[in-house]
Amino acid sequence: MRPALEPAGALGRLGQDLVRLRRRVWAPVGALVLAGLVALGLVSDDLALLDSLGVIFMYVVLTQAWNVLGGYGGYMNFGMAAFFGVGAYTTAVIGHSWPVSPVLATAAAGLASGLFALVVGIPTLRLRGAYFAIATLIVTFAVELVALNAPFTQGSLGIYLKVLPLSPLQTEQLFYFVFLGLMLAATVIVFLIERSHFGWALVAVREDENAAEVLGVRTTRVKILALLLGAVMAGIVGGIYSYRVLYIEPAGTFAIDTSLNVVLMAVLGGAGFWQGPLIGAPVVMAVGDVLRVAVASEVNRLIFGAILVAVALFAPNGVMGFLRGVRGRRFTI
Amino acid sequence: MLSLLLQAAVDGILLGLIYTIMALGLSLILGVLGVINVAHSVFIMLGSFFALGLLTLLHLDPAVSFVLSVPVFFLAGAAVYRLLIQRVQRAPATIGILVLFGLMVVVETAGILLWTTDTRVITVGYSNLRLSAGPVTVNGARLVAGGLSLLATAAAYWFLKRTLTGRAVVAMADNRDAASVLGMDVDRLSMLIFGLGIAAAGAGGVAIGMTFPFAPQDHIQWLAWAFLIVIVGGLGRVESTLLGGLVIGLVQTLAGVLLPFSWVFLLMYLLLLVLLIVRGQGLAGARRREL
Repeated sequence: MRPALEPAGALGRLGQDLVRLRRRVWAPVGALVLAGLVALGLVSDDLALLDSLGVIFMYVVLTQAWNVLGGYGGYMNFGMAAFFGVGAYTTAVIGHSWPVSPVLATAAAGLASGLFALVVGIPTLRLRGAYFAIATLIVTFAVELVALNAPFTQGSLGIYLKVLPLSPLQTEQLFYFVFLGLMLAATVIVFLIERSHFGWALVAVREDENAAEVLGVRTTRVKILALLLGAVMAGIVGGIYSYRVLYIEPAGTFAIDTSLNVVLMAVLGGAGFWQGPLIGAPVVMAVGDVLRVAVASEVNRLIFGAILVAVALFAPNGVMGFLRGVRGRRFTI
Repeated sequence: MLSLLLQAAVDGILLGLIYTIMALGLSLILGVLGVINVAHSVFIMLGSFFALGLLTLLHLDPAVSFVLSVPVFFLAGAAVYRLLIQRVQRAPATIGILVLFGLMVVVETAGILLWTTDTRVITVGYSNLRLSAGPVTVNGARLVAGGLSLLATAAAYWFLKRTLTGRAVVAMADNRDAASVLGMDVDRLSMLIFGLGIAAAGAGGVAIGMTFPFAPQDHIQWLAWAFLIVIVGGLGRVESTLLGGLVIGLVQTLAGVLLPFSWVFLLMYLLLLVLLIVRGQGLAGARRREL
């Protein structure tokens, strides 16, 4: 992607300088923001603020997870709620039944979600393009059906988890830093992917899958690997989420809102850029917070859906597209 | 046992006819335009509520609503094509899918706001009527819905095979650029086929509403069924969809004889996964059109 963005000539050199300047800006700004967030987490005793920021961090991780296959690979996953939910149910079922350490249970959640990704990905990602998108919608519905009917999930009654032995502030701080750390890890992973052979293979799949295959990219394997990676991330987040909310039930856990938010955050921020989720998640959550005081949650979802349509129609490259001055195609299968 | 199976077969065929019209739009839009309409099932949901609304407000029989739904949903589909799909026709396919996903969320949520998440049924005079012929008993509503679906499917078949416009659509499905060079107005034809696909979804929604309970948030089930039918039957042709619909209708009904109700659904989802593995590569269009 990058070489195409650097035109030749005097004007091109100016462009290159600008690109370098922008690139140089990211590191100090990022470090500053990160330091600020760490300090805030240590100092602040504003529970609501820590909670809101924690949710934003969580969504950044989910959106980065989506970004691997969706942003770089161009394969739309409309079922992040399913991968998130499988993780959430894994820790909930484990935590409810056995005295297992939350860390182990969370690892199991990532594993379960990864296995689930293989079950979904192997049949659907051997096909080109849009079949995967429709399958992810169906899978979310099917998993919710399993959660409603399987004997170990207690159906629509849901599962309660034991409260952690911490004060409210300590609890908020714990999840704040856990999600902050995960956000950092996920962003670094996606940053490294963007610069790796794996990342280039994904972009090649997005830009022209036939050409990629001819050039020796093992497209099916690359796509499944990307889904697997995103699913493990989402499963871990889901696993931690159930310790945070302490009660999960099928309708809320597999709600389409999660999937919609993630897609909207990725596309608004800029799908296929490691910075995209860092921009998209706070913006969407801020809009959501403004809306939430004014309107019911369904109206909120309606507006988010409409925003997604508008962004896809008029600014499919998102904020990063504007910053980078990307013209023409970004999404191709 | 034999009469039980015979009964299941008759029920399954009627169900299959309903499923055919329900899935036809997905198959046509995917096969002809190469657009996978993830918003397909919200139009089915709207069709069910269309019939319910006309029944409660105007006391119109769902059979009448079935006929009325065709022009109404055709216009809705044509409008969606003009406002949304046409804009992204030249853009990469992914953007179109994003737009349709957004549309799905908007329509589903609007449905929940308008009609709440309560489950509804359409009850008319013949809903609980049981017609017996020998060992087989047929439900009145299912018979009417199945018969209307068969008529609508036949009409779609006739349109695509026997009219000049229909044959132009088939030509466009084969090779859009060549069709354009030969003087066919591909934009208008695309709008037509999108409108027809949504009309079939709306009419299918009326038929679904006559036979099953429905709620705004449960439409994805029909997306799954329609997708399953497209995979079983193949893309873009009415007779393929009919075959797929009948197979799925029969499988579901026969499974229902052997399994408890909620497990039938899971079996169908399992079938979907298995079929994607076994038949996926053979999906006409998956490779050729590189969707």
